[in-house]
Amino acid sequence: MQVRSYRGIAACCPPMLMLLLTWALAGPLAVRSDAADAGRPDGEGVNRVLDAENRELGIPHQPQPLVNDLTFLRRIYIDLIGRIPTDAEIRAFAALPKATRRTTIVDRLIEHERFADTWTVFYADMLRLRSNADGGSAAIALVHQALEEEMPYDELARRMIAASGKAGATPEVGFILGDNADPMALAGATAQVFLGIRVACAQCHDHPFDVWTQRDFYDLAAFFGKTRRVETQFTNTVYTTESSQTTVLWPPEGEPGERQPLPPKFPFEMASNSRAAAYVARLEQLRSDQSEQLAAREAASTKSTVDDLLAAVDSKVQNASRGQRLAPEGIAAEAKRDARNLKVDAGMSGTSELRAELARLVTDPKNRFFSRAFVNRVWAQLVGRGFVEPVDDFRDDNPPSHPQTLDYLADEFVAHGYDLKSLVRMIVTSAPYQRAHAVGADDVTQTELETAFLATPMRRMMSEVLYDSIVTAGHLFAPKHAPGKNLKTVWQQSRIAKAPRDDRPTGSGAADQENAPTPLAQLGSGGESSTESMPAKNKGPRQASYNLESAIELDFDSLLAAKKGQAEVMVDRMKVMSKEELEAERMQAQMQQERRNVEFVDRFVRTTIDDNPQFGSSFRMASPAPPEHFLRVFGQTDRTQLGNHRDQDPSMRQALMMLNGRLTHEASRVGEDEPIYGLVVGEKANLRQAIQLAYREILTRHPSDDEFREAAAIVGDAENAPAGIADLRWILLNCNEFRFLP
Amino acid sequence: MHCSEYQISRRSLLGAASGTFLGFQVRHLLALEGTSHPSQAEHVILFWNGGGMSHIDTWDPKPGRPTQGEFEAIETSAPGIRISEIFPNLAQQMHHAALIRSIAGTQGAHGRATYNLQTSYNQSANLIHPGFGSVVVHEKESLGDLPAYVSISGRAPRSSYLGQRCEAYFVGNPGERDPYLAFPEGITRERGNKRLERLAKFNGRFANNRNDDKLQATATSIDDAVRLMRSPALKAFELDKVPTSTLNRYGDTPFGRGAILAKQLVETGVRFVQVNRGGFDTHSNNFPAMRNHGSVMDPALASLIEDLADSGMLEKTLVVMLSEFGRTPRINDNAGRDHYPSVFSGFLAGGGVRGGTVIGSSDENGEKPKDRPVQVADLHATFCHALGIDGNKEVMTPLLRPMKLVDNGEPVRELFA
Repeated sequence: MQVRSYRGIAACCPPMLMLLLTWALAGPLAVRSDAADAGRPDGEGVNRVLDAENRELGIPHQPQPLVNDLTFLRRIYIDLIGRIPTDAEIRAFAALPKATRRTTIVDRLIEHERFADTWTVFYADMLRLRSNADGGSAAIALVHQALEEEMPYDELARRMIAASGKAGATPEVGFILGDNADPMALAGATAQVFLGIRVACAQCHDHPFDVWTQRDFYDLAAFFGKTRRVETQFTNTVYTTESSQTTVLWPPEGEPGERQPLPPKFPFEMASNSRAAAYVARLEQLRSDQSEQLAAREAASTKSTVDDLLAAVDSKVQNASRGQRLAPEGIAAEAKRDARNLKVDAGMSGTSELRAELARLVTDPKNRFFSRAFVNRVWAQLVGRGFVEPVDDFRDDNPPSHPQTLDYLADEFVAHGYDLKSLVRMIVTSAPYQRAHAVGADDVTQTELETAFLATPMRRMMSEVLYDSIVTAGHLFAPKHAPGKNLKTVWQQSRIAKAPRDDRPTGSGAADQENAPTPLAQLGSGGESSTESMPAKNKGPRQASYNLESAIELDFDSLLAAKKGQAEVMVDRMKVMSKEELEAERMQAQMQQERRNVEFVDRFVRTTIDDNPQFGSSFRMASPAPPEHFLRVFGQTDRTQLGNHRDQDPSMRQALMMLNGRLTHEASRVGEDEPIYGLVVGEKANLRQAIQLAYREILTRHPSDDEFREAAAIVGDAENAPAGIADLRWILLNCNEFRFLP
Repeated sequence: MHCSEYQISRRSLLGAASGTFLGFQVRHLLALEGTSHPSQAEHVILFWNGGGMSHIDTWDPKPGRPTQGEFEAIETSAPGIRISEIFPNLAQQMHHAALIRSIAGTQGAHGRATYNLQTSYNQSANLIHPGFGSVVVHEKESLGDLPAYVSISGRAPRSSYLGQRCEAYFVGNPGERDPYLAFPEGITRERGNKRLERLAKFNGRFANNRNDDKLQATATSIDDAVRLMRSPALKAFELDKVPTSTLNRYGDTPFGRGAILAKQLVETGVRFVQVNRGGFDTHSNNFPAMRNHGSVMDPALASLIEDLADSGMLEKTLVVMLSEFGRTPRINDNAGRDHYPSVFSGFLAGGGVRGGTVIGSSDENGEKPKDRPVQVADLHATFCHALGIDGNKEVMTPLLRPMKLVDNGEPVRELFA
């Protein structure tokens, strides 16, 4: 994949122009920023500072050793691109020179196209972006684009805090609209999400166990006091706008004294100039270099005309139409129309002055809360434990375990231009990331080792990683069976109109809910069908409401390109609908039917389909998923509450989904197009190699001799070799070794 | 059992019952439980009527008033209580039931009102409150193999800070089989069981040299799943063996089947069953719609109350029917009624509720509470009272903010004997 460089553009361009430029740069002008050019740092500095700090703390333990190469490989694939490595990738890694293979693979994966997909989920969790909120899908798509283009984190944060505009058309407003533009909610969210400070309690009273007062909270909320959420009834669009009056008044409601508009004040302390001088100077130098490079590039190239931009749009369309999402012509027409309508001077001009000021203060390089909070989150994501836990609860009586290491990382992060990839590279090439678990240690020692980052805690794969890893191991991203091997006879239900009738009054009748769509059926991609028997009347179609393991990908490109049209319709359809919405939709559909005086009957038609399974990447599906979906059951949150992080608690529902779900079942079955097939069936069948391949593909390691004998017994026990391999793969996919990171 | 603590597994409970804990023997345990506190209710069946059900056309008729609409009030088996003619069978069971005719709601939009009625709290930014079903299963220990909280034909509210273990188990259509409770298509029982056995061996070996609670908890979750898959109590989810005569008595509709399923589930130990049904948002042509709703709800609800009373389960089962608000007394130009939260009604039976009781009243046109207004939180406090749950108990949110199980509220004590 080609990486469009963000570097050097951010500093001087209004965002919309920037968007156009990056489009234009996608063509021959693209400048690839590879790791060497970028000079991304490694983890040596982290090792040094952490070792010294642990010595100071007097930690009595020896560190766990670094994990071996294959274990590292599994870890790094999971953490950087959200899935386990394939057999081919394992082989490619083994072919790399031993001394440098770890950094080589890190640099490759940081540039992998799945890196942006994977870290989009990290950001969407952090920012609580929801596909089913106003402008939520577009905001997620924007984050994805920001990752692809290496937008500095401070720039992304500024946009999220400061943007005004229409939901979807101005993707950034998804953040503000996610909290309904409510000043109190946004004060709490801004402090906690970007600064790791929990001030939400201070909304109603001075913070019970922290220094924040209610007045601090109101001071902060006042930055959002003039922001309004507006919903137009006719076009059904939602946007934010700025009012001249603030809604934030002091003293709080119900307290004595006349309530007066409150001017905003940033309650968090900045670092002193002398303390910040070194890393701020490095940041300024970096950004000035980047501007110069950009100016040089601009001078070297002819000025872009609208036609150049349109040509760039064409190449964009090539990318956008990968897969069978949308007809390319549709996107092209829309994207071109959008390009013509773009106001190059638009963008930040519509933002709120108050929020622009807040954005500047939040992202000020001297505001160490901002960099510390983010660094702590990324560290916890990768290492399994933050310097501060919970990751968004920085306060005096909850100090970081290693303040110097945290500050070292925070300063380097700022000095490298708030570049996520630099931060990630520093962490994953450091020793604390690469250490083994504290196997065999007692509880106390284990905790001490993990807290000192001398051992890594056991982590379960995130739900998206688990999903995509099963799909990867089972070769399910594309059909794997020969055509015709999965024929199934199904009953398909369809509604068919009978002859018009006149004997019934128009308007809302009261059809029963018999055929009301369930929320889960909304997600179905194909026809809802039930296998086996014709549904008896009192049973209803079997399994019609269960579709909990599909992942329909969002087309991020078209979400950003199209203001209205097919893409949004698709997203709307996939929205996780509330009961009320469903009810409203049902009523509406019913009224429409009856207005036309048409009666419908349900027909069950017997058809044969080739049910060759295929699954998309869960990192790109609308999120959060519906409540009972695989992703939610394994810990994806609804992204509404502050401080509600993903948990790793097991549940019976998880067990049922893994044991009996379609995903593990299909991943286990052997398909003719899989590499393992030739080792299982035919003249070249080789059971030893088949078992080794199954272990490599699923657990990224070779089986021991005992394990090999056990596996051979499992395969030998089955009706035939493919069934035996399926049994083995089902066990490997279900076992704890698969779902917990090595 | 606190749902959020998976480690305290059901197994310890099962151990106490010497491992012979099948769905059919639950009643013994219920009997033991019932003596531990003065409240009577052990189970709840909540019928949730989505869309906002007209109070005047159901529980609070206004005969002779301009707001009456098309339906007459009929006498019931409870002297002095009259309800709408759309409930002829239910009228014969009113000596078991009680009505609250003075619910004073505050929310007139579907989303906010539903949230309020189902959680007792008002919607707020940044925090989601758990639904009442989650509160019940958080406070009352599970009985038997089945999930403690089941939602039929639609979603129940989220469990939020009470933890994933307090989420409702979802049944799309009554009688529909949950595919996750059986081995995947094409995997015989023998093969599936062999896989499970071997998986346990793999996991046991992996956990052996690793000292981690997460592995033990995962093993417990698999054991629980397998126990449920193999449990004879799962029959409670099936409707195939329901006699045609019973189906006809309840009305052969999804709602009727939902009521039968709810009954089977509480008889098998399920604590909380929510049966969802929509279509009450009758902005136009209110009367044919409500007549139809009556024809669906009346036989089901009446048969359920009758059957629970006959079997003795009604004493231990609180049956509630609620909607997010009522509908305008005024009939609009489309012969419909619009959203109306200021006063509306709720239906209760069983679980210690005195039959033949009416709490409060609305004024002559059904526009305002006339006496004994009941706040939404009072309703929840009342349910808690029936179940012996302390609604003022505090639990911690993710931000360590203590929240009461119920947003204050006083129980309507007159409902109980």
